[in-house]
Amino acid sequence: MTQQQARNSAQATWRANASALAQELWRDKTGLVSLIILVGIVAMALFAPLIAPFDPAAQSLSHRLTPPAWLDRGVWTHPLGTDHLGRDILSRIIWGARLTLLIGSCVVLFGGALGTAVGLWAGYNGGRTDNILMRIVDIQVSFPGILLILLIVSVMGTSVVTLIVVLSLTNWMVFARFVRGTVMSLRQSAYVEAAEIVGCHPARILFRHILPNLITPLLVLSILEFTNIVLAEAALSFLGLGIQPPATSWGLDIASGRDYIYIAWWLVTFPGICIVSLVLSLNLFSSWVRITTDPQEREKRFAHSYMSRRGKRS
Amino acid sequence: MIRKCLNALGTTALALAVGTAGAWAQSITIAIGSEPSTLDPQLRDDGGERQVNDNIYETLMARKADGALIPGLAAAAPERVSESAWEFVLREGIEFHNGEPFNADAVVASVERIIDPTNKSEQLAYLGTIVSAEKVDETTVRILTDGPDPILPSRMYWMKMIPPQHAQSGNLDEQPVGTGPYKFVDWQHGSEIRIEANEGYWGGAPEIDEVTYRFVTESGTRLSGLMSGEFDVITNLLPEYTSAVPKFAAVEGLETSVFILGADNALTSDPKVREALNLAIDRESMAKNLFGGYATVAKGQPVNPKAFGYNPDLQPYPYDPERAKALIAEAGATGKTLRVNGESGRWLKDREQIEAVAGYWAETGLEVDIVIEEFSQYLDSLMGDGPRPDSIFLANSNELLDADRESTFLLHMNGPAYSNSDTGLTEKLSKARTMIDEQERQALYHEVYEYVRGQNYLVPLFHLQDIYGLSERMEWTPRVDAKLLVSEMSVTE
Repeated sequence: MTQQQARNSAQATWRANASALAQELWRDKTGLVSLIILVGIVAMALFAPLIAPFDPAAQSLSHRLTPPAWLDRGVWTHPLGTDHLGRDILSRIIWGARLTLLIGSCVVLFGGALGTAVGLWAGYNGGRTDNILMRIVDIQVSFPGILLILLIVSVMGTSVVTLIVVLSLTNWMVFARFVRGTVMSLRQSAYVEAAEIVGCHPARILFRHILPNLITPLLVLSILEFTNIVLAEAALSFLGLGIQPPATSWGLDIASGRDYIYIAWWLVTFPGICIVSLVLSLNLFSSWVRITTDPQEREKRFAHSYMSRRGKRS
Repeated sequence: MIRKCLNALGTTALALAVGTAGAWAQSITIAIGSEPSTLDPQLRDDGGERQVNDNIYETLMARKADGALIPGLAAAAPERVSESAWEFVLREGIEFHNGEPFNADAVVASVERIIDPTNKSEQLAYLGTIVSAEKVDETTVRILTDGPDPILPSRMYWMKMIPPQHAQSGNLDEQPVGTGPYKFVDWQHGSEIRIEANEGYWGGAPEIDEVTYRFVTESGTRLSGLMSGEFDVITNLLPEYTSAVPKFAAVEGLETSVFILGADNALTSDPKVREALNLAIDRESMAKNLFGGYATVAKGQPVNPKAFGYNPDLQPYPYDPERAKALIAEAGATGKTLRVNGESGRWLKDREQIEAVAGYWAETGLEVDIVIEEFSQYLDSLMGDGPRPDSIFLANSNELLDADRESTFLLHMNGPAYSNSDTGLTEKLSKARTMIDEQERQALYHEVYEYVRGQNYLVPLFHLQDIYGLSERMEWTPRVDAKLLVSEMSVTE
């Protein structure tokens, strides 16, 4: 087999794998829809300057609280209406997607990385290391988050970076606890023992033999955490500890529009729908990912579809 | 069995009939924004505590609903007997709810208790000039101040009179006992406080017999409680909801929103920049659209229109965006960054005012950097020792209805929130504080605020109105001083 052929066949396998995956996704309609929504939201965030009809901060007090276009008094210039300062809600939602996604994913990434590192180390070493690290986690969990946040914000000032740091520092513990537990049980498994006997370096054991087992559950946990972060960010921003105007996020728009809920429901409803669809899509997609990447779940799924196909035939 | 049932029914019907007959005993429920931290009337500066205790306790001086100062427990307006002493003659024959007599001894005890440094009363901010009180005879008292104090009568409108024996041996924190039209019934912490009419009140028994106070922090919850008929009076109604509630009442209140400009800061030390900031704001449009008309554009000064020293001849700053832009360009400030400090959630539409004004300022060509701070941090920016902000928002409340309050707080260099180093101005304000002659004093304040308007040290915005939501059956005209005096309310059924 020449090199060229080898490359070709590798490409072919990859292509076959991808198309198999696509087919699987096609069959799971909830997974498919949630992926489409996610891609849509990400695209919206990326291309905000191109698709937003207005500057999200441009205010016009005489046009405040205009309802969505399809209601009385609504106008098609502001399809989703305007907020309490006369800013276009559609544009704010499009721009708000940026910070909502940026902060959510950065925090999950940094907080997740920190928590996973601590969890791996504590779970693998056990003993005193484990004791010390887990007590740190306990202390951090019992420490009032808002106090830590105030402390950091008073030192660093308010900015998106501060917000990411602050939320990462208050949300890594759940990752650490989860990873530690899983690592402790994997530590007893035969293949890890085998690797140790062969004389593998602990780093190799951790990253080569243990970590791959954690990827799927970590993914699921990250997505669940993401939803918490979106809400936490909104709360902090409303108190004046997070995003500063004229920048905005979905959560912040909800927080500042809630006073008007009885007369102008569109202020909170549209950003709310965005958060719900983001969170729901992430959850559904993560469950598809979990099932697809877990061999046991795949078997179950295969059996299920096989049975239903046979049922139909008879 | 059936007879028994019928019997029971009959009794219930009878009870109901008696109940309706007794319904002349009228009771109402008032939703307030926060639970009192204590019911001791002399220690805290706590709005929730005042909303309840204003009905139980009384003061030597009182105010009419429009803000005019009138004698309360005093029989007449006080007299100055020397440079630093005022003499009050008391009404006779008044008793506290527990039977203790109200007399000169009670006044002396009240004054001594509130100025006692060991009590650390937060209300000293309003009463700081008082040094002692002397009994002249059974119904005459002298209050001594640390120097000439022209506004002592207004200060005495702040000091609630307490029964000396109960204050010594009883529990004022939990068991308020005053001379007022209502008596304390009970306080279920976390849920409600009840008070009832004092039939023997010296001013005549009030019309409403029972009042229940409920503590509701969320404005949305207060609103839905009013709509569902649970509450009869709610505070801080948003202007947008005036058309949604059964009834509402609005009154020009004590608060004035204003930005303090940092007259010593690099950017805002330039008078042209400060003038531009004042000219750039369309205050009329904000008052009309943001407040639905429930705010009045301030006439070029932060002083409350009802307050002594208000200059009615000053004009509001005009809206002239072109001139503002030109001034910024002239000052060479185009593209420079102006920091705008503020907070969120403390005052009516605070965040919206800040964002709207910052939007106008951004149109002049300045870069505007808004910093909404957490409240304690905000207070530090407002009154702390750190560097002064370029511009900081606040809604200033004038409880004494005297220009001294705004002047000391916003401009005087010994005050907490001044942002200038104008010693000439400070000298004039110090002089005005102790001037005895009312005419001269008024003239001096007029002069000062004309000068301040020209210097653009401040960006006065609006005199805010207090809006109350009322149930269908309530009759009430709210007061300028925002007191919820139930004795002035009535119920139609």
